[in-house]
Amino acid sequence: MLKALFRKQFRELGAWFYQDKRTGKNRSKAGIIGYSILYAFLCIVMSGLFFSMSSMICVPLVSASMGWLYHAIMCLIALTFGVFGSVFNTYSTLYSAKDNDLLLSMPIPPSRIILVRLFGVWFWGMVYELLVLIPAMIVYWMAASPGLLTIAMDIFIIIAISILVLVISCALGWLVAKISSRLRSKSLVTVLISVVFLGVYFYIYSSAYSMLQKLIANIETVGLKIRSAIYPIYLMGRGAEGDGLAFLLFLAMVLALFGLVWWILSHSFLKLATTRSGAAKKKYREISIKARSVYSALLHKEGRRFTSSAAYMLNCGMGTLFIAAIAVVVLIKGEWIRNTVAASFAEYDQLIPLIAIAILCMMTTMNELTAPSISLEGKNLWLMQALPISAWQVLKAKLELHLLLTELPTLLCSICMAVVIRPGLMASVLMVVLPQLFVILNASLGLILNLKSPNLAWTNETAVVKQSMSVGISLFGGWIMVIFLGVLYAAVGSRLTVELFMLIVSVLLALLSALALLWLKKRGTRIFEAL
Amino acid sequence: MLKIEHLTKLYGDKRAVDDLSMHILPGEIYGFIGHNGAGKTTTIKACAGILQFESGDILVNGVSVSKDPIACKQRIAYIPDNPDMYEFMTGIQFLNFIADIFGVDEAERKESIAKYAGAFELTGDLAQPISAYSHGMKQKLAIISAWIHKPELIIMDEPFVGLDPKASHLLKGMMREVCDRGGAIFFSTHVLEVAERLCDKVAIIKEGKLIRSGTMDEVKGDTSLESVFLELEGESC
Repeated sequence: MLKALFRKQFRELGAWFYQDKRTGKNRSKAGIIGYSILYAFLCIVMSGLFFSMSSMICVPLVSASMGWLYHAIMCLIALTFGVFGSVFNTYSTLYSAKDNDLLLSMPIPPSRIILVRLFGVWFWGMVYELLVLIPAMIVYWMAASPGLLTIAMDIFIIIAISILVLVISCALGWLVAKISSRLRSKSLVTVLISVVFLGVYFYIYSSAYSMLQKLIANIETVGLKIRSAIYPIYLMGRGAEGDGLAFLLFLAMVLALFGLVWWILSHSFLKLATTRSGAAKKKYREISIKARSVYSALLHKEGRRFTSSAAYMLNCGMGTLFIAAIAVVVLIKGEWIRNTVAASFAEYDQLIPLIAIAILCMMTTMNELTAPSISLEGKNLWLMQALPISAWQVLKAKLELHLLLTELPTLLCSICMAVVIRPGLMASVLMVVLPQLFVILNASLGLILNLKSPNLAWTNETAVVKQSMSVGISLFGGWIMVIFLGVLYAAVGSRLTVELFMLIVSVLLALLSALALLWLKKRGTRIFEAL
Repeated sequence: MLKIEHLTKLYGDKRAVDDLSMHILPGEIYGFIGHNGAGKTTTIKACAGILQFESGDILVNGVSVSKDPIACKQRIAYIPDNPDMYEFMTGIQFLNFIADIFGVDEAERKESIAKYAGAFELTGDLAQPISAYSHGMKQKLAIISAWIHKPELIIMDEPFVGLDPKASHLLKGMMREVCDRGGAIFFSTHVLEVAERLCDKVAIIKEGKLIRSGTMDEVKGDTSLESVFLELEGESC
């Protein structure tokens, strides 16, 4: 029985690799090879980053007889990486697995189901952890040349850390399950958490070097702080350095924690797996009835579709947030930006408005609301087709949501940039107009692409907002357009003033946008009606 | 009310509907029966204006679905066999959306929602997201949304699937009410007993072709609708 359960778990673990999420079919051999190469490349890049980081701190710490601190830091990073990488997987594997009802209806002791599920969680935590600890240990072994016993203990520490990742993931997964079952605006909270996570990530990424420098300069102080604040980590670091007693104490602590989690899970699994607490039922009030115009109703419907899906917002709408953030940064740091840009582009100051526009246009391509919007209708397409509205009204609502969420922050950002750069009246006006036209063209092209290659038979909307051809082409197409304009300026710029070039590009974009909109109104509506 | 003239719909080489003609008059409940794949859903979708067809025409009160689809859709309501609705909306948001599209004023929609949601015992669930609804609840919501704008013609594909007995009974009464005020109902069903008791007229379709139609008495005579249907399908009773 256990063998069959593990076989099922292995199939589940491997499904993401050999199965195409969009079609549900197995990948071809070429697809599997391609995926293997891609993931191997990603693993090498990630491990390479941790290798260089380890190399930076390992020698100074080992030389200062603070090898334990090196292990403590790297294991804490591995722990964080492992937990963040697997916590949502824990939630779906352990607490909301789709086959819970099926397995529980069969004569399988719940403890075996837990064991198999925990194995799945442990496996993914281990994968994430190894991306950090393999390079970290290699660097340590190269720098400290430890004996075989210490190397063996290091391997056991890696396994112990993976169990610790499992323990923390289970606790956090439980917390996610609890919060998630009580939330009404799950998607908005998911977006908020993702944005905070991204913010923290960028902060750490940008200040990692100076943090490491500070650490190397204050080894003793940091060491003392960690030792007094998180003693088990000190034990783990000492254990990895070859201290047998510290190793055993750390191992005992990890096993005790695992035992506790096992005991809690085995006593509460049935309740967790079979209870659907759900959010509190919202009471219906007659005041919810409000009349709107057809235009407003369609726009609201598109808006609701957008805000109801965290995947849609995160993959196709983050531009709004980033462009607005840039506008605020430009406004606050205006003086510094002006001085830095003036110093960096002293000889080419006429190019500054062009570079600003290029950056802004690139940012606007982060918003791809129209590109999956037809596919997202999915099984509900019949509603748009059966209601007494024209196909153009439907397409227009999709376009307008894109424009509303992209043009407003772009306008704000353009004005802020023009105020800071002060390129003259004509260039300032064009700095505002050109990105607006670019947004219209990008929105229209996204819609055209989706009309040409819709996927209405999706089972998971992520396949549409993340992996669809229209989103990919729309995003990269936008970048290619910006690069093309840069190349065009390089070719003809010497014969034109920047203002004239911007004016020509604006006219070109206006023409292309008009053509795209015309196509949507004529051909696009017919395609939509025939879907 | 609804006139189907020589309707033909092809899927590749296959004639899903082949030269089908029907006429549904005001005040009639018209049942549409046939085995799976006979062409019922294709015909219904074409009447609702969501499926383009190769030849023939469909007229709603004299207006062609292919020439002026929006004017036709303004007069009809359509309920598909599987009521997939916007799961990102709550029940009341969906009803508001449909009412907005049909331009139903606030007072009228309040009255309709109170009447039908109350009758289907769905009022307490209107603030819940549709994603939390069961199949039966979705079906009830689809029915309320179809009735909210007081359409002249209601086209339904298997409307009784998923409904509890009380809701089925209620729906039958609502269908009769529409006809009493001069409207018409065109619906498909596999439940022949329902068709026999409820419909004024019935049409039987086989392999895309209309093989019998008329009043219930004309179609079934002294036997049951089931016997006639099975006989026409070439099976022994």
